[in-house]
Amino acid sequence: MSDRNHSAPVWQAPVELEPLRPAPDGGGGNRPGPDEFAGPAGAEKVRDISRWNWAVPAFFGGVFALVLVVLAFDASDLLSRAFASGYAFGLGVSGLLALVVFAALWLALDEAISIRRLRRIDALRAEAERLVIADGHGSAGHFADAVSGFYRDRSDLAPAIESLHTSVNDAHNDREVIALIDRQVLAPIDQSAYNSVLRASRDTAVATALSPSAALDVVIVLWRNLKLVREVASLYGARPGRFGSWRLMRRMLANLAVAGVAEGLSHVAVEALGGSIAAAISTKLGQGMVNGLLTARVGVATMVLCRPVAFTPANRPSLGRVRTELLSVPKDVL
Amino acid sequence: MSSKFPDWNNLAGFGEKMLDQALGHVGSLAGRMLEGNVRLGVTGLRRAGKTVFVTSLIDNLIRGGRLPFMDVVASNRFLAARLRSSPDRSAPRFAYEKYLANLTATPPHWPAATTGVAQLRMALRYVPVSSMRRSIQPISTINLDVIDYPGEWLMDLPMLNQSFAEWSSLTLELIEHQPRRQIGARWLHWLSTVSADQTADETTAKEGAAHYTEYLHACRRSQANLSLVQPGRFLEPGELAGAPVLTFCPLPAPASGSAPAGSLWALMSGRFEDYKTNVVRKFFLEHFARLDRQIVLVDVLGMLNAGPAALHDMRMALTACLEAFRHGRGGWLSKLTGGQIDKVLFAATKADHIAASQHGNLKNLLDMLVSEARNAIRFEGATVDTMALAAVKCTETVTTEHQGRKLACIQGTPLGRQKPTVLFPGSIPDGPDLFPLDIAQPYRFMDFEPPAGVGRDGRGLPNIRLDQALNFLLGDRLT
Ligand SMILES: Nc1nc2c(ncn2[C@@H]2O[C@H](COP(=O)(O)OP(=O)(O)OP(=O)(O)O)[C@@H](O)[C@H]2O)c(=O)[nH]1
Ligand SMILES: [Mg+2]
Repeated sequence: MSDRNHSAPVWQAPVELEPLRPAPDGGGGNRPGPDEFAGPAGAEKVRDISRWNWAVPAFFGGVFALVLVVLAFDASDLLSRAFASGYAFGLGVSGLLALVVFAALWLALDEAISIRRLRRIDALRAEAERLVIADGHGSAGHFADAVSGFYRDRSDLAPAIESLHTSVNDAHNDREVIALIDRQVLAPIDQSAYNSVLRASRDTAVATALSPSAALDVVIVLWRNLKLVREVASLYGARPGRFGSWRLMRRMLANLAVAGVAEGLSHVAVEALGGSIAAAISTKLGQGMVNGLLTARVGVATMVLCRPVAFTPANRPSLGRVRTELLSVPKDVL
Repeated sequence: MSSKFPDWNNLAGFGEKMLDQALGHVGSLAGRMLEGNVRLGVTGLRRAGKTVFVTSLIDNLIRGGRLPFMDVVASNRFLAARLRSSPDRSAPRFAYEKYLANLTATPPHWPAATTGVAQLRMALRYVPVSSMRRSIQPISTINLDVIDYPGEWLMDLPMLNQSFAEWSSLTLELIEHQPRRQIGARWLHWLSTVSADQTADETTAKEGAAHYTEYLHACRRSQANLSLVQPGRFLEPGELAGAPVLTFCPLPAPASGSAPAGSLWALMSGRFEDYKTNVVRKFFLEHFARLDRQIVLVDVLGMLNAGPAALHDMRMALTACLEAFRHGRGGWLSKLTGGQIDKVLFAATKADHIAASQHGNLKNLLDMLVSEARNAIRFEGATVDTMALAAVKCTETVTTEHQGRKLACIQGTPLGRQKPTVLFPGSIPDGPDLFPLDIAQPYRFMDFEPPAGVGRDGRGLPNIRLDQALNFLLGDRLT
């Protein structure tokens, strides 16, 4: 009896309600537009984790302001000297200066946008997780709208989003809606992202196996990884800028460390090839494998970080296919 | 000259073509041999929603537009489904077209209660997942066999394992309790005028069977909507209407312990055995043999409406029937028919009668009701799942305000009306206390008309979780 009182505080007998009068913000009917979804819950969670300390922003903000002041002084100095040595020269220099300032602002804006998009993905993922845990009904409509709003200008996803909206109905609970987003919108992206990962890991494996020097290896791996990160991120709509992809790389390096890559490269080589084969082939090829596998891990980590809905154990991308792909590399190289 | 001889330059090509053709034949032959069969047992007591479920299943597989949770559809590997003639000619074909026409007519109406067995086979074509299989057979086919029958017949299943004496004493024990006692008053009165030892004569037997049949009909009609009514053919005789095999009824055991040959007991007991072998066993052997998958449809909402007695009754009936299946190895029905069911889904039907936010509670309630059967089936090694579904979705969930409270309501046309309305159908408790004493009639879930214009969009009948049910039941056979 007490149980029952907890679950239904007021007993409501079945009634018929006339006239038809859906409430203004009913679960199924009128949803707020995609832009109204700011994801504050998610944003807060992110800040929580990174332990807020006032001294950090004060320090960096102060340094940044000082640098700005110094630069401004320098610039005005430069300008006055340039104008002193000739009017036309002065004009030219100020034109250059203006161009530099403008380009810097442009880059900063670009970075800001890309960082905002990453934040938004984080917020979406946190929201999806919250909905799945709450296991409720009627709130995932906002989320579906937020996701389709996020991919609004992606014409390649338009059919998927269209089919998402036709298949979601009022009877689906939040988990089901999120599962549908997962399979209908994100699964095709996963597919192409995984193909990019395969390609990149093959590229690095072959290139580093053939490259003559270790220094060149490092350059190749870094460059190809960065390119892969950008490819994968933009597939998921994260669109990282230059700085943004470095940020992503950094986060992923942390991820990789957690994933146990730091254990030792020889271990990875054996994992990639199976002990007996690994022993049989040259170290150079082995290094190629290792680099290929590392690249694949970076790629998969990027997928995990850029996906608006976290992978489930059922659809988490595995390195299995990467391994089989890499096993065919020695044949191609030799 | 050149025309008399084959074109030497092209001889190799010619040979290749021959080989190709031959291989093509082999390929299609192998393809046919590799066709799988799945027999899906649709099980449910009367009015549970079997006919509607089968109709919607066929329609949705044919049109394929509302099955996003079927993996084979979601991954674009599903090609098409089409009806095929069944290899078994002993039963009429399931009248899918007629039922669909009923549902999509203006005004739409539900199929009538089923009076006989019907079956249907459909072929599902899909692209296999594994590249190995694709190289042998780029397109695979499985045949899905379903049968539909009156729910009353299912109640005959437990009788197969009982003797006349056992069955009689169980039935007489049941009728001791209300509401059966009152419903069966006339038959009980007749029983008091006869004795098991008296000499058998056809008129008495006919009289007894008539009274008993009337009692069964009254049980079915009653407010309590009783499920445990046996034998099923007394209610839905099918082709057996008026046959002498249906003239018996339970009797109290003879006082002396055994009855002489030629007594009423001997006559009725003989007919009971006859009924078991020639009617029940025959039916289940023919149609339940070699089932691979099973879905058990349960009208939980209807039982809640009818009250505690009905719910208890349904639970007993269901347990008795499912015991026969004893999925996996070792159940007596599977010994009889050679069946090997490895997946069972329990589904609470007509989930569209309540607001979608209540589906979780409905599923939990079903879990609770079938927990014993579920554990037994799991123990035998089959996979079991439960869900709340609607084969034909007739309502929309809307949120409305009522006396200052927000209520999750449904919008649809109640049975027998013309206009849609919004109503709060009531809620399902999430605890085990289903019938609190302080509320007189806590549940009044209404039936609904199929929505006007249903199925006109060509995507298949709208449903709730039919795709998830099918994915559970057939998904692994479509890989
Ligand atoms: N709203 C709704 N009602 C349903 C659904 N399925 C069945 N019903 C209702 O339940 C009634 C019985 O459904 P049937 O499919 O005929 O039941 P059955 O199990 O074939 O019954 P018998 O043939 O008597 O054994 C229908 O007339 C409908 O009113 C459903 O998915 N949604
Ligand atoms: Mg029927």
